[in-house]
Amino acid sequence: MTGWTLTLRQPPTLRLCLRGITPNALALLDATQVAALPLGHGNSLLPLGAFFNISPRSDDGLLLQGDLSRCDRVGWQLDGGQLTVRGPVGHHAGGAMRAGTLTIHGHAGDLAACEMAGGALTIYGNVGDFAAASLPGSMDGMRGGVLRVQGNAGARFADRMRRGTALVLGDAGDFLASRLVAGTVAVAGRVGAHVGYGMRRGSLVLLHAPAVPATFVPAGADAPVLWQLLARDLARLGDLGTAGGTASWSSSPPSNASFNPFCGLAQRRIQRCLGDLAADGKGEIILPC
Amino acid sequence: MSDALRAGGVEIDDTFAEAFPMKATRLLITAHTMTWARHAAVAATGFATSVIGCGCEAGIEAELSPAQTPDGRPGLSVLLFAMSGKELIKQIERRVGQCVLTCPTTAVFAGIDPGPAVAGDDDRPPEGVLPGLGWPGTGRGDAVALGKNLRFFGDGWQQSKLINGRRYWRIPVMDGEFLAQETTAVVKAVGGGNLLLLARDTDSALAVAEAAVAAMRRLPGVVMPFPGGVVRSGSKVGSKYAALSASTNGAFCPGLLGLVPHSELTADTRCVLEIVIDGLTEADVAQAMRVGMQAAINIGLSGGLQRISAGNYGGKLGPYHFHLRKILAGGAA
Repeated sequence: MTGWTLTLRQPPTLRLCLRGITPNALALLDATQVAALPLGHGNSLLPLGAFFNISPRSDDGLLLQGDLSRCDRVGWQLDGGQLTVRGPVGHHAGGAMRAGTLTIHGHAGDLAACEMAGGALTIYGNVGDFAAASLPGSMDGMRGGVLRVQGNAGARFADRMRRGTALVLGDAGDFLASRLVAGTVAVAGRVGAHVGYGMRRGSLVLLHAPAVPATFVPAGADAPVLWQLLARDLARLGDLGTAGGTASWSSSPPSNASFNPFCGLAQRRIQRCLGDLAADGKGEIILPC
Repeated sequence: MSDALRAGGVEIDDTFAEAFPMKATRLLITAHTMTWARHAAVAATGFATSVIGCGCEAGIEAELSPAQTPDGRPGLSVLLFAMSGKELIKQIERRVGQCVLTCPTTAVFAGIDPGPAVAGDDDRPPEGVLPGLGWPGTGRGDAVALGKNLRFFGDGWQQSKLINGRRYWRIPVMDGEFLAQETTAVVKAVGGGNLLLLARDTDSALAVAEAAVAAMRRLPGVVMPFPGGVVRSGSKVGSKYAALSASTNGAFCPGLLGLVPHSELTADTRCVLEIVIDGLTEADVAQAMRVGMQAAINIGLSGGLQRISAGNYGGKLGPYHFHLRKILAGGAA
C-alpha cells in the first residue's frame, strides 16, 4: 500500500472530473499507472499525469494540492482511507462517499456531500448550495456519516437529508434543511429564510434563533435526555481541532479551528418547535437558550 | 471435608462452588433523581432471584454518578442473567416495558456495547463498556432488542434518533418522552457461584452474610440476586417428588442433623446461609467470592462464623468450579 501526493500544476482550462481518484484505488498502483489514469476534462479523457505532479508518500493517505476549484467530484464514492485536499475544490466533493475521511482545507462548490452515506467529511472553508442534499432527481440526500463545515453554507443545505449529522459552524443560506426526512443538522451562525421548509422528521439545532415559520408549533414537553445525548455529540463533532480521527500530517487544522461553538451546549436549556406541520410534523427545531 | 485449613479461626472446606454458563446483559437506568432511578431498577430486578421460578436472575450492580451515565443524570446499572438468550430477550422486554418505561423520568441504555446501529458507522473504542464507567470491558455481545419493540407503545408517534452510531427510540409519554436505546448486548456469563456460611446462630450468620454481601456489592460485574443478596433455602438437584427439579439441601439443614443419611453439619452449627453470585465473567465471580470470604473471615470465629463451604453437585451441573482454597489464596478458580 502506497500513498500519493498529487500536486496540480495549474488550474485546468475546463472542468476536471476526479471521479475514481481515491486512496484505495491508487494504493496498489505504481507511479506510471497513476499517471495514466484517465480524467474527464471537458468532453475528453486525459491522463492524470497531464495535470498533476505525482510523488509517493510514506503512508497510505492521498494528498491533493493546488487550486482545485475547477476539479469536481473530489472524493466521489470514497470507500475508505484518508483523502486530504490543500486548496479549494469544485462541485460534488465527497459526493456519495461511503467510508473513510475526506478533509478539505479550502472552500467547496455546490452539492458537497450530496448523498453521502458514511465516513467523515470536514471542510475548513465554505460550501456552496445543496450541500448534504440529493442529486437532481433523487429522493434522498445525505444518508449517513458526518459532514462538518467550518465556514458558511449556501442555500438548501441538507435538502432531503435522511440520516447522519451535518454541522455548519458559520452561517447557512435560505431553505436550510428543507424537506428534511431525518437526521441532525446544526448551525452555529445565522440562517436564511424558510428554515425547515417541509421538513418531515429530524432535528435542527440553531444557536442563533431565527424567525420560526408559522407551520411550526412550540413543543409542549421537554426532551432533556435526548438533548443531553445530542448536545454532547455535537460538542464532540464540533471540535474541528481534534475530532475526525485523521493522522497528523493531513488533518492538522487551520489555526482558527480551535473555536467550537457547540461546546457547552449540554449546560444550556432549550426551546423546541415541532413541524413542519405542512409535511409530517414530526421534525423539531431546537433553540438553545 | 479433608485437611483443615483455617483463616481467622474459620475452617475453609476443601471444596468448590459449581457454576454454569448463562446469558447476561447490563442495562443503565437513569432518571431525574437517583430516587426514581432506583424505583425503576428495583422494580425491573424484582422477582428475579432464581431462574428456577423467575425466568431470570437480576440485581442492581452499582449506582452511577451523572458523570458515568450517557445522559448526565444519576442512574444505576443492573445485570440480568438467564439460561438462554431467547429467555433473556423475553425478560428484558417485559421488565423494561413494565418497570422502566412506566417509571417517571427514566431512560434506559445498553451497558454493554451492542455494536454500531448502522454498519460501518462506528468510531467508538473497541471495548464493550461505555466510556465513563471505568470498568473493564467484556467485549461486544450480540445485539438484542431493548427499545426496539417497546417503541410501538408510541402508537406511531415514536421517533428514532441515531447519535454517534447508536440508535435511540423516543416514545411520547405523559411526562414528556421515554428514551430507550434500540438494542443492548447479550454476552456469555457465569451463574451460580456461591458461598455457604456456617455459623453458630442466626445473629452471627446474618451479620457475616451481610458483611460479605456488602463487600461483594462494591465490585463491578456481579450481582447477588437473592433478597439482601442472601438465600437460606439452598437446594440440591432433584427431589423425592418427580415433579420437582430441586429440593432443600438437607445436608446443610441444621434441623435435619441426625435425620438425613449424610449431613455436612455438626451439632454446634445452628444456622447456614448461602450467597449466590452471578457474574459477567468467571474472573468476576471468583473475585466476588474472594472478597466475600475475606469479609466473612474478618468477622471470624469470634463473630460466630465456623466454616465456609460451597455448593456443588459433583461436577455434574456446570463447567465452572470455584475452589474455595485456591480463590482465597489469590489464585484463579
